[in-house]
Parts: sequence; C-alpha cells; structure tokens
Amino acid sequence: MGLVAEILQIARRTAADHGGGPLESVTVFVGDLAAVEPDLLEFAWQTLVGESADAGARLIVEWRPARQHCAACGEIPERAAGSWLRLCPRCDGPLAVTGGDELEVRTVAFSGTPSPAEVEQ
Amino acid sequence: MRQKVLAANATAAQALRDAFHAAGTLVVNLISSPGSGKTTLLEATARALKERFRLGGLDGDIATERDADRLRRAGIPARQILTGGACHLDARQIEKALAEEGERLSGLDLLFIENVGNLICPTSYDLGEDFKVALLSVVEGDDKPFKYPAIFSRAAVTLITKSDLLPHVDFDLGAVRWQVAALNPSGRFLVASARSGEGMDSWFALLEEEIRRKRAASPPGAGIGPDSSNPANW
Repeated sequence: MGLVAEILQIARRTAADHGGGPLESVTVFVGDLAAVEPDLLEFAWQTLVGESADAGARLIVEWRPARQHCAACGEIPERAAGSWLRLCPRCDGPLAVTGGDELEVRTVAFSGTPSPAEVEQ
Repeated sequence: MRQKVLAANATAAQALRDAFHAAGTLVVNLISSPGSGKTTLLEATARALKERFRLGGLDGDIATERDADRLRRAGIPARQILTGGACHLDARQIEKALAEEGERLSGLDLLFIENVGNLICPTSYDLGEDFKVALLSVVEGDDKPFKYPAIFSRAAVTLITKSDLLPHVDFDLGAVRWQVAALNPSGRFLVASARSGEGMDSWFALLEEEIRRKRAASPPGAGIGPDSSNPANW
C-alpha cells in the first residue's frame, strides 16, 4: 500500500502542477528485480483510489525485464523470462545483470478543463 | 515523465550516506531469510572485533527486541527498530533510530544494519549503506540465488552460513557459487560457520579491509569531534 500511496501522490502532484483535474490513468514501469508484483499493485491501487476523487483512474503497469549481458557478445536475447543463464551461450563468457530495477511513474493522464490533457516526457 | 516511486527513500538514504562518509563509518546492510544466522554471525563478529574497532548494530524486526539484546550481550551498542509490520527497513527509520540513540551509536568504525528477515523487500530500500551482504544458509536449498536474483545480483558479498551442517544436507555449494557468479560476477563469495568458526577469518578480514578503505576515503578528522553521522547533529 505504501508504494501505491507514493504513486498516487506523485500522480496528483503532477496533475496539479499542470492545472489538471481528476486522474484518468497512471502508467508505471515495474522492473523484474523491483520486488513488486504487478497484480498486487493494481489491486492496492483500486483499493486506494476507490472512494476518492480519482475513483476510476486506472493504473497501467508496464513490465521491464532484467537483462543478462555479455561483455564480448552484447545482450543475450535467448533468455526466457524468469530463467537465468549461467554463461554466455555464444562464447561461454561471464554475464552481468542489467536493468530490471525500474519502479517509476512514466505517464499521468488527467482530465483538465476544458479538455483532457496528457503529460508525457 | 520519469519519477522514481522510491525517490523519497533514495533522498533520505543519500543524506545518511553523506553523513556516514563524513564520519568515516562503514555501514553494512545484512539481508537474508529469517533464520539464516544474521544475528549469530554478528554476535561472533562483535566478540572477535570489538576490542579493535568501534562497532554498533541496528536490528530491524516486526516484533521483539531479542536481536538487539543479543548484540548488547555480545558487547556492542545496539538498537532495535520495530517496523510496525513492514517487511523491510527504510532510510527514515534508520535516521530516526540514530538520532534517538545519539552518542551511543555515533562515531563508529562499523555500523551493522541487520535487516528484517526477508530475501525480497529489503533489496529495494537503500539505507545509505556501503554494501549489502546476502546470507544464505546451507539448509535453505541450493536453488535460491536464481530464485531471488535481485538480492544476489546487488549484494557485494554473498555469505553462505552454517557451513558446519554441510555433511548433513544435500547442498551443492558449487551450484550456488556459479549461480551467484552468473548474477554478480564481481561479488565476493564466502562460506562460514559462526558456530564452528570455519571461514570466519575471511569474513573478519573482509570487514577490516573495508573499514580501512572507508577510513582512507573519509575526510581528514572524520571520527573526531562532533559526530556528523548522527542525524541529531545535522
């Protein structure tokens, strides 16, 4: 619940900064390694916005996988989600994990007067 | 836009990190499942190193003061942080605990933060530490690094605990070592038993090396005078 409270606060502040009204949707990037379960996040969001002025605002969760990277061969595309390779399948070299850390608000859509506006950078 | 959800924690953690740097205090965040042996490891570490270094501990738990009591009985100042049900410590709790504790936990060479027993949640919350240590005991199964990639890829040190029990379990140490290497090629990998003492010298040596490195990197006069690592002095 703490996370969705922070997301809501960020979204409301962003909408207010742009002169906007009730929230319509908020898009967050959630990384593989962020220790956040998207379904639970959406459920907690619904509970939090439920009775408020932003009831009906959707939380859109976009999943960001962690990647394994070989210094010699580049990113490894063969990795299936949720599995980890021990060595580079091409050159047997060591791999490093990159990304998957994301936990960020990317888009806030809100209705303004007179027409809906969307903030995306 | 691109606004980190945990930005507030990150800001508080950076303030702590800056203060620890100014004071020359090495801060180690220990993370593991419940029962891996964090407190037992710290008791043995306290007894071994307290004459040579100023040590202190912060213990995070949902309930009881048992862990902080154990560290105090092992001879180092310690404070319990009760998280009110949260599965991890956060930077603001650390800040508050240090401010309340004052002199007792300031001017240290090494501050241990024993996180809440949990392999998942603590990984995402920066506490201003120098590095994380992930503990995994030999009775927890040898498939855990790939199952919990976040912590094992981010911890600078993985410490396999309760090694004295290896003859009694099917724990493929080699498999664990290569899983951790795949996730964290530059990480340190140690195997030890606080009970038997096996491998503990390497752990102590690692801590001493890091304490000295931290001192060398700190501003001149760190550790002398009013302690700026204590939030009460900010």
